[in-house]
Amino acid sequence: MSSPFTALLESLSRQRGVRASLIVSENDGLVVDANLRFGQDGDRVAALAASMYRKARMSASAARLGAVGFLQLDAERGRICAVGGRGDLVIVVVAEPAANVGLIRVELLKALDSLT
Amino acid sequence: MSLVNYATREITCKIVYYGPGRSGKTTNLHYIYGQVPEDRKGKMVSLATQTDRTLFFDFLPLDLGMISGFTTKFQLYTVPGQVYYQTTRKLVLQGADGVVFVADSQARQLEENIESFRDLHANLAEQGIEARTVPLVIQYNKQDLPPDLILSAHELSDALNFRGVPEFAADALHGPGVFETLRSISEVVLKRLSAGATAGSR
Amino acid sequence: MNIATVEPWVEAPLRRYVDDARARLALLLHTSGQVVAQAGFTRAIDVMTACALASAVHATSAELGRQVDGRPFRGLHHAGPQRQLYLAPAETARGAYICLTVFDDESSLGLVRMYFDELCKELMVAAPPLAPLREPALAVDFERDLNANLAAMFGRN
Repeated sequence: MSSPFTALLESLSRQRGVRASLIVSENDGLVVDANLRFGQDGDRVAALAASMYRKARMSASAARLGAVGFLQLDAERGRICAVGGRGDLVIVVVAEPAANVGLIRVELLKALDSLT
Repeated sequence: MSLVNYATREITCKIVYYGPGRSGKTTNLHYIYGQVPEDRKGKMVSLATQTDRTLFFDFLPLDLGMISGFTTKFQLYTVPGQVYYQTTRKLVLQGADGVVFVADSQARQLEENIESFRDLHANLAEQGIEARTVPLVIQYNKQDLPPDLILSAHELSDALNFRGVPEFAADALHGPGVFETLRSISEVVLKRLSAGATAGSR
Repeated sequence: MNIATVEPWVEAPLRRYVDDARARLALLLHTSGQVVAQAGFTRAIDVMTACALASAVHATSAELGRQVDGRPFRGLHHAGPQRQLYLAPAETARGAYICLTVFDDESSLGLVRMYFDELCKELMVAAPPLAPLREPALAVDFERDLNANLAAMFGRN
């Protein structure tokens, strides 16, 4: 079943090293749509990534830094990148360590623009 | 299913007031609520329609105090009496430790009483419960109405009480018979528990 | 958070759940409406009312599920302006329980559901087998106590 976000998520998932891309509701922490590789728990990633993005946005706001442009979490075996700020939606990408973060960032911001 | 907590020494029992529509089940609970001391009762909850008919149930938690070292609590529920609320009656009946059947003493309500009593047995059977094993007390309510409108407790007993369970004539609006009924069902439920008839930890 | 349990084995899993999911209130109960554990409630009596209502909501949504989908609906979510609730069953070796979780914007439905799944797994592991029939719960003098308490409550003998 395709959704209005299918093409956007496929485009993100085509980037080298991207394991999963999701559109998540920031407030509910629920998956709106996702492109996942086998073995990934989309619900879990969505709930935690939405919570992380929300905390980051509130931290930035508390420190009077304005809106969050791009969020990147580097972990031992990969990265989570997220952009939001268009209503309640957050776009999340899970990538391998070797993935090109710069390219992913550009694609995420493009994807965010296409959401509006 | 009485809940017996051996660690905190608490017993919680669920008692359901059953009977045909407008027989006075909610009135029983209202009277009890009005009479029981503040420290022995919780909030009474009524899920009713705009015309005050019970839509789902009424609920009244009571604290009976310490019995043989156990803090004993009762949860009183009513079911909606109207025939079309069959599904909700079944739901409220789940896990009941005892049933008070509130019959309407008006002569013209006899068929409704019998039908509701059958309905009670059918709903228990559907839940895999042998009706004879469930503590039951029957109340003949509205005995305050003019004698020409009602059947006597004796006549109602002939029609309904073939098991010979405790039975009480009552006027739930003004109180006579209400506490006697509650007292009796409390006693039957707790005696059954005392006899070890139910599983200990649940 | 203040946690009280009727069945002690649920305490640790419930505490973890409440902490992880950042729940404001949580209630674990039997499907008949009897409380098993509660977290965050301040008056015992409110717990009983919440149990009665939660079991009713669960029973109706499960029944509605059976009627329209042939099997019971499971999770139920309601959202208010400040607080939300999530109601879902948890199967254990001791039978089915219902868990009512109240949360606010410190958490989210996704987080609550995620940690609820973990709670279910933990309860499944932690549940001791059903105890065999126990000794009668009440001593022989219970009738005296019962009469005294009924008299105290109803103000008559």
